[in-house]
Parts: sequence; structure tokens; C-alpha cells
Amino acid sequence: MTDRRRAAWLLAPALGLIVLVALFPLAWTGWDSLHHHDLRMPWLGHPFVGLANYAMIAHDGRFWRALGHTALFTGVTVSVELVLGLILALALNRVFRGRGAVRATVLIPWAIPTVVAGLVWRVMFDSQAGIVNPVLVHVGILDHPIVWFVHTATAWAPIMLADIWKTTPFVALLLLAGLQTIDPALLQAAAVDGAGAWRRLWHVTLPLLRPAILVALVFRTLDAFRVFDLIYVITNGGPGTSTEPVALYTFNTLLQNLEFGYGSALSVVIFLITFALALLYIRGLGVRLSGDLR
Amino acid sequence: MTVRAPVIALAALLLAGCGGAPQRGVELTLSGSTLGDEGKLLAHEVARFEALHPDIHVRVQPTPDDATQRHQLYVQWLNARAGDPDVLQLDVVWTAEFAAAGWIAPLDRFHPDTAAFFPNVLSADRWAHHLYALPWYVDVGMLYWRTDLVPHAPRSFRELTAEVRLGRARGGAAVPYGFVWQGARYEGLVTVFLEYLGGFGGQIMTPDGRVLVDSPAAVAALTEMRHEIGSIAPPQVLTWHEEETRFAFQNGKAVFMRNWPYAAALMRDSAQSRVAGRFAVAPMPAGPGGHPTAALGGGELAVNAFSNAPDSAYALVAFLTAPQQVLERATAAGYYPPRPALYRDPRLRGALAVPLEEARTIIEHATARPVTPIYSQLSELLQIQLHRALTGEATPSDALHTAARQMTDLLRRTGVAALMRRGIEP
Repeated sequence: MTDRRRAAWLLAPALGLIVLVALFPLAWTGWDSLHHHDLRMPWLGHPFVGLANYAMIAHDGRFWRALGHTALFTGVTVSVELVLGLILALALNRVFRGRGAVRATVLIPWAIPTVVAGLVWRVMFDSQAGIVNPVLVHVGILDHPIVWFVHTATAWAPIMLADIWKTTPFVALLLLAGLQTIDPALLQAAAVDGAGAWRRLWHVTLPLLRPAILVALVFRTLDAFRVFDLIYVITNGGPGTSTEPVALYTFNTLLQNLEFGYGSALSVVIFLITFALALLYIRGLGVRLSGDLR
Repeated sequence: MTVRAPVIALAALLLAGCGGAPQRGVELTLSGSTLGDEGKLLAHEVARFEALHPDIHVRVQPTPDDATQRHQLYVQWLNARAGDPDVLQLDVVWTAEFAAAGWIAPLDRFHPDTAAFFPNVLSADRWAHHLYALPWYVDVGMLYWRTDLVPHAPRSFRELTAEVRLGRARGGAAVPYGFVWQGARYEGLVTVFLEYLGGFGGQIMTPDGRVLVDSPAAVAALTEMRHEIGSIAPPQVLTWHEEETRFAFQNGKAVFMRNWPYAAALMRDSAQSRVAGRFAVAPMPAGPGGHPTAALGGGELAVNAFSNAPDSAYALVAFLTAPQQVLERATAAGYYPPRPALYRDPRLRGALAVPLEEARTIIEHATARPVTPIYSQLSELLQIQLHRALTGEATPSDALHTAARQMTDLLRRTGVAALMRRGIEP
């Protein structure tokens, strides 16, 4: 009993900290989301409005479109990053001279701050100073220079390319860690049994890599779903609001327009969606977030 | 918030207790830019003010030059009922918002000489029959044109199109752009739209809060803007703010540019401008049913409602907006004075890059943006729809109907529609 009590005392600071930095702000946001609270309209006061903010979200076309943009961004970038990351990891897993140097080099995009990377990509796609237009015209893909940021379809290109460029190394690294846990003897045995490279990949490597792939998928999906800085820097959600993700919409509502009540409701909804996604992965796909890579 | 009231009361007691005579040894803070020439000018003027009022010390508190960031900071400070800065530099469109919120003090009791300012400029500083700010400088949207490429400034959009063709033919490959304006999704786009709108005889909303942004005149104005994209205006303008258009025009790449007066001062400098001595400024063109329209912008000075020394704060506002100081800002930094009488002053001649009589006429006919406490929110709704129409995501008519519906809805939902109706009652 005394041991249990001592344990409780020892755990208390950590639990208290979690309550203070995680649960308390979350509860506060939840409470604020039940109020009308707009810093720019103090004459309306701070009345309790129940679920009115959530009802407004249900009819808020801009929110639903933002959710669609977020899903599109997440779907495209995460799948491309997984495929490219796997190829990169398989290449890096081979023994060759200078492997250490190559592994370090591959990580460079990941090491660059997102805002800086975003600015670089924006300048590259700039209609005047950018390098992309002249190169594409030169190789004959484009007839004439285009203005990338004024059409929805073309505005997505720099955003997605920047994310893929930046995050593929991270996925590759996660998968590489998984690859290194695979016993080479298994692959050798398969080769002795006459399995070609493809069959070894499909039937030995990938099944054994499954836990690492799922971990990469969880991290990347949740990350991509909260995309903010890259789009803020590259298009700021334009043209119109047609590349605006939910995080940017919430940012605008909360911090630009200072609509604390409605913005809090948006934050709660995003939290619930990401939480549900995480649950889905963990329960549905059986991802274990610890001990996988051993 | 509840913790603060006693603290403020205590501070007030302490101040009253040790001050003796009221307002002795007053410390004022003034929000403003401390950068470059403008910062130097302000420091200079503040020093003169302190020499005149030895009992007042003024501290210039640097605030971001970016309007959105400055606005955000102010709103956070004033929500917390901060008494600093005592004197706030406001963008003209924030005055109604801050006044309705009770964040800035009415200035009527100081009896400023309101007749000495442009009436339309001053009207944006009024809310619910009270005056809340004084104009510091005036901004108006104008048409910049190349005197070496076209014979005269166009008076109609039709003439503008013809002159773009002429100017580009004369300029050849060196002049790839016809007309450049601010088309990115931000406040600047609304000011450009306002000018086209006036040119076609429309308006954004009535003073009593009825939204008219989907009128036939408005659809015609936005249709004209959209037609220009790709024909006489490069599609790039849809990502451009003031500075990108200035760079294009200043490097000689465009025949026409819509911009604020600040550009003239910079482009007359032949060290950085290729068009020095080869451009002039005129009112924006008009379409059928309208008249040449300039969007009215500018900086105002207001007194923080929570200031501990409102009288001293007003003295500073009165000093900075007095003829000598606004004249100095005009000659040193090219800011247009808000006082019509100065446009007959020989000292102003040569400072503005525009003949004084013409500048005064443009300002007198300039159109203010709607005076409403939720201007920023309304503008954001409009910006998005304007940008959708210009980038081809929606037709001008659909986009403007959506904007009108959303704006009307917001006005009703926030109770501002009723507030505005009361605001104009005699």
C-alpha cells in the first residue's frame, strides 16, 4: 500500500504536467467552442450558445471544401511518398561504397525548415523569376510559360511536389529501419528456392516490412492532415480558397479574424477527425506504435 | 479580465496619489513605424512635440508595417484593455470597428477643426455621430501611364484597351505587359474592384448596410476586370500586390499601372527607376454609367479609450495632424496631406508628382470603403469571391451573388445591420 502511494506521488508531477499542457487547453478550447466569442465584436459579449458553432460548421461550405482539399493533399502525397520512400529505402539498404554519405545526403530535404522549403518552391514556380517555366518550355512540355498559382490544378503542383520532395526521405528512413530488421537468411533461403527478385520483394520483404509501413503511414497521414506551413507559404490557400486546407482555414478564423468561439469549434472538429483517423489505424489495421521495429 | 480591473484601479490611485497636478510628467506611447525615412521623420516630429510640451514624454512603440499583423496586435491589446499605445495609428477601414468596440475615444470634446479636412476623408472617421480619429495622410488609387508610349491618359476602359494596344506596339518586346494592377486575394483587390465599380456606377453597400455588390453595375465591373486578364493585363496580376506591380512598371515593362501615391515618389528616382521622367498620373478610367473613381485609403490617428492621459494623447494627435507636420510628411515622404487648403500651398508643389489641383480633385472624388464595424470580415468574403471570378473558378455573376448573400448573412447574424441603420439615423 505504501509502495502504491509512493508510486502515485512519483507519478503525480508527470500526470499533472499532462493535464496542464494537454488536457487543460483541450478542455478550454472545447468550452470556448460552445460560446460566441469574437474579439472584434465585443458588443456581442461572450454568450453561451450551445452547439450553434457546430451547427454552423455543418453548413459552412468553405470548411467542407477545405476538408476535401486536405483529403486530396493527404491521399496524393502520402501514397507517392510511400512508393518513392520504399524504392529509396530498398536502394539504401544495399551495401555499396559511400553508403553512409548517401544516406546523410538523402536526408537534406527533411532537414530544411518547411517554411524555407516552401519559399524555395514558390520562387521556382514563380511566373517571372522561376526556373520551372523556362525548363518546361525548353524541353517541350509547355508551349508557353504559365502562371502556376492562378489555376487550382496547377497551384497544387508546387505544393504537392514540395511536400513529396521534403518528406520522402523521412518515409525512406523509417522503412530502412524496418528493412534492416529483416533477416538476410530469409531472402537467401527464398533465392535458393528459386524465387526471383520480384517474388522475394512481394512475398518476403513486404510482408515483413508491414509494421514499418503502417507506422510510416500513421505518421505521414496525421502529419499531412494537419498541413499548414507549406500551403501558407506557397499559395496561402489560393486561387480563391481552392487549395485551402482545414488547418489554414482554422488559422485564419482563429488568429487572423480572432473568432475564438467558431475557431475553437473548428479546432475541436479537426482534433476529432485526426483522433478518429489514428484510432482507425491502430484498431483497424492493427498498428502497434511501440515495439514494431524491433 | 476580472483580475485586471482592480489592478487598473490601483494603478490609477497610485498615479493620482503621486502625480500632484494632473498630467505632470506624462509618458505617452505612440504606435507607428520606426523604419527608414518615415521612422526618422516621426522621431524628428516627436522631438519637436516634446520641446513644446516639456511635461510629456513620447515613446514610439514599433508596430508591424503589415496591416493585417498590426490589426491583429491592436485587437489583442485592446481586448485586454491595455492603455498602451495611447495614440494608435489606424488604417482608415478600422476606425468604425474600433469605435463600435469602444476601444478608441470620441474626440468631439476637443473640438477639432473638422472643416479643415477633406469631408469624405473625415467621414470614415465618424461612427454613430461621433468623431473617433483624425486623418494623418490620404491614399488614393490612381492610374500611372507612360508618357513616352501613349499620347494621353485614357478616360474610359474602351480607350484604355486601345491605348494598351498602341503602347505595346510602340514599346515592342520591352513592354510585355499592358495594364498591371493588384489582383492577389487581399485587401488591395477590393480597392481595385471599388474603382472599377465606381467606374460603372455601382457601390459595395449603402451607408445603412444594404449590400449592393451583386448589382448589374457590379457584375459589369467585375466582367470588365476579368476580360482584361489575359488580354490587356497579364494573368500574373492575380498573384500581385502593390510592390510587384510597381516593379513591373518601374522596369518599363507595362504601359499602365494602378497604384497608390507612394509609387510616384519612388519611381521618380532615376537611380532605381527606368521610367523616371517618362510617366504621369491620372484618375482611373470609367465605364458606361459611372465616373472615374479612386479608392480612398490612408492613415488615421486615434486615442486609446483606456489611455491614462487622453488629453495629452489628443494633443499629440492634434500636433501630428497639424498643417506643418502633414506638409513635412508630404515633402519628405510623399504622403498626401488630408487638408485641402495645403493644395494651394507653394511648398507642396513638386512634392506629389501630380499637379496639386489634380491631386485635390482626385481626393475630393475618392470613394471610401464601407464604414462598418465588420469591414474586415465583409472584405474577406468579397476578396475570395472576386478572386474566384478573376481566376475563372466562377462567373462574375455567380461569384458576386455568393458574396452578397454571405455578406448580408454576416451583417444580419452579427447584429451589425441594425447597428448601421441606427448609426445613420439623425
